[in-house]
Amino acid sequence: MLAMQHSGLLPDRRLYRAMAGLSVLLVLVCLASLLLGAGDVGPARAWAMLIGQSDPEARFVLESLRLPRTLVGLVVGMALGVAGALLQAVTRNPLAEPGLLGVSAGAAFAVALALVLGATATTMRIGVAQFGAMAGCLCVLGVARVSGAGNDPVRLVLAGAALTGLLLSLTSLLLLFDQRAADEIRFWIVGSLAGRRLEHLVALMPSLLVAVALILAVARPLAALSLGERVASGLGHRPGLIRLLVIVAVALLVGAATATAGPIAFVGLVVPFAARALAGPDIRRTLWLCLPLGPLMVITADIISRLLVAPSELPLGVLTALCGAPVLVAVVRARRMSTL
Amino acid sequence: MRCEAPVESQVRQRAAEGRDDGEAGIAAPAGHWRLAWLPPGDAVPCSLLIDRRAFTACLLLLAALMAASLAYLAMGSSGLAPRAVLPALVGRGEMMAVFLVQELRLPRLVAACLTGAAFGVAGCLMQTLARNRLATPGIIGIDNGATAFAVASVVGLGVSLAPPAMALAGAATAAAITFGLAAGGGTRGYRFIIAGIGVGAVFGAITQLLLAKVAIDTANAAYPWTVGSLNARPAGAVTLLAIGLAVGLAAALGLTRSLSLLRFSDAVATTLGIHVARRRWQVLVVSVLLTGLAVAVAGPVGLVGLIGPEIARSLSSPRGVPVVASALAGALVMVLADLAGRVLLAPIEIPVGIVTSVVGGPWLLWILLRPASRNLA
Repeated sequence: MLAMQHSGLLPDRRLYRAMAGLSVLLVLVCLASLLLGAGDVGPARAWAMLIGQSDPEARFVLESLRLPRTLVGLVVGMALGVAGALLQAVTRNPLAEPGLLGVSAGAAFAVALALVLGATATTMRIGVAQFGAMAGCLCVLGVARVSGAGNDPVRLVLAGAALTGLLLSLTSLLLLFDQRAADEIRFWIVGSLAGRRLEHLVALMPSLLVAVALILAVARPLAALSLGERVASGLGHRPGLIRLLVIVAVALLVGAATATAGPIAFVGLVVPFAARALAGPDIRRTLWLCLPLGPLMVITADIISRLLVAPSELPLGVLTALCGAPVLVAVVRARRMSTL
Repeated sequence: MRCEAPVESQVRQRAAEGRDDGEAGIAAPAGHWRLAWLPPGDAVPCSLLIDRRAFTACLLLLAALMAASLAYLAMGSSGLAPRAVLPALVGRGEMMAVFLVQELRLPRLVAACLTGAAFGVAGCLMQTLARNRLATPGIIGIDNGATAFAVASVVGLGVSLAPPAMALAGAATAAAITFGLAAGGGTRGYRFIIAGIGVGAVFGAITQLLLAKVAIDTANAAYPWTVGSLNARPAGAVTLLAIGLAVGLAAALGLTRSLSLLRFSDAVATTLGIHVARRRWQVLVVSVLLTGLAVAVAGPVGLVGLIGPEIARSLSSPRGVPVVASALAGALVMVLADLAGRVLLAPIEIPVGIVTSVVGGPWLLWILLRPASRNLA
């Protein structure tokens, strides 16, 4: 709520209503994520355990398998949704998405490199992923800025797609070198929430707190920046500094999410798209709506990925791509592509 | 190459005047060779213009392809002396060398040349069609469509069609979807390409979905298609590709004149006597056919379709559409990439798709971000 009060703009009733509705929906989806699964513990048994019956097996499944998974989905969804909204606001480009611009691929490449060089520790991996995300982000935005392609939403995405392809093949090249790293990374690189533990989440917290602080500081100037660089400077903001801070926040968020769940594309495209449709173009409102919408998408996709091909699992990225690519096409096909 | 109507009438006029000076009388335009002949009797005199620079470019690329093929046959996990390769090719020399060259490396070389040429021609045609040098089948999702369908046939979703047929169906489906989505805005500009990237992402996800659903052994059998490799070539696919390439190349050569006019705006092309819609259809069909057949052999090595025509265009003259040069350059790129993949990290083999995207990715970025980007193919 801090950003809202800072902005001097009281959130209106419509935003409240949307937030309340989405939060209820999110709670329901989280509950479903706890109750549904591929194993022997069906919804009825899980529910009985939740309301107090003792059932050691159900307790184990819920507490050490499904609960961490749901919590990780919550955090990853929020991080990716918010990162997408920030990136789209700062590039004023409705197609700017961490997965499409090569930010996730940068993080994945950095993690693969660290693993090949012999790293294993969890915290190490998070830092490395965030550094890689930062490098990927700066690379695309910097190059696009130098060549003047940044003004054209579609060319920026093409540059990002080219960079993503390059980084992905470099990653597979690295994995060819080193069988041990390949085994370790194989289940991570397709993007999944399975088998993540609570310790992973705890390790993420410091960097996520930094990112939240950055976002709170930068939300209002960012809204001014959406009126144009000149207007923002005229209002006393420094566009260069704002951009840099936003990019750092995006790198922290995407790096953390990627280190935990692997590269998951299209969440950062679909979630802000839906948030804008619900709350209008003001970044200070869309950011709020991204908080419930992101986890909603990720956890729903996770539930489907468990149930669709049970007992094996689908990569999460498959489902988000199936749901996100049509949105991408819809945005591009809209007669007048709105520049943010 | 094209028939020159004005030249023809001049020749006839001179012949009627009794000044039978043959081709000496009319100079070819700058930068061309003119082949002219007057058949005996009343037959129409003919002449051909050959673009000098395009011709040299083809010769140059052919020579490079020969050299690369020789290196391809000689190098590998057990190297041969270049001198031993040619005798081994015709079955003379040591048994081991003959076996290596004839049984192992030659079929793979042929597959590399054919797929590279097919990707090169398909890329060149698609670029001309969309008037955009980034619009190659690999980028607008046709490769991914073909891959998804080919994988479906391998993992056996109750479909008993052979991979080439399925890959063709997939390529056609993806092309239909992309072009259908772009129907409102036309094939111009970058939006069309983004729509293609979206379609490609969906088909890529479907491929992953199919691989996740089946047992690990089946998934491993289908794996080569997902990265692009010349290791697992389905029986019959290479033969089909050879036939398809012959047909497609002939069709593309027949379309050359229309192609060079299609580069103008629709209005200009129509004025110059091109049935634009019909030619587009023909070009699209040839491009999709070649892509589908090539993917059935080697998987999505789509960036060859970008690099090959790019090399061909920089060597050839800007007047025509370099179909033959694109085929040669595509084959050259494919042979070199597969050679590098086999030799660089031996005994590990790098799939050829990874080599081409490591080389082609920066190239793509460079094209995209160059300040004065020429958008016309």
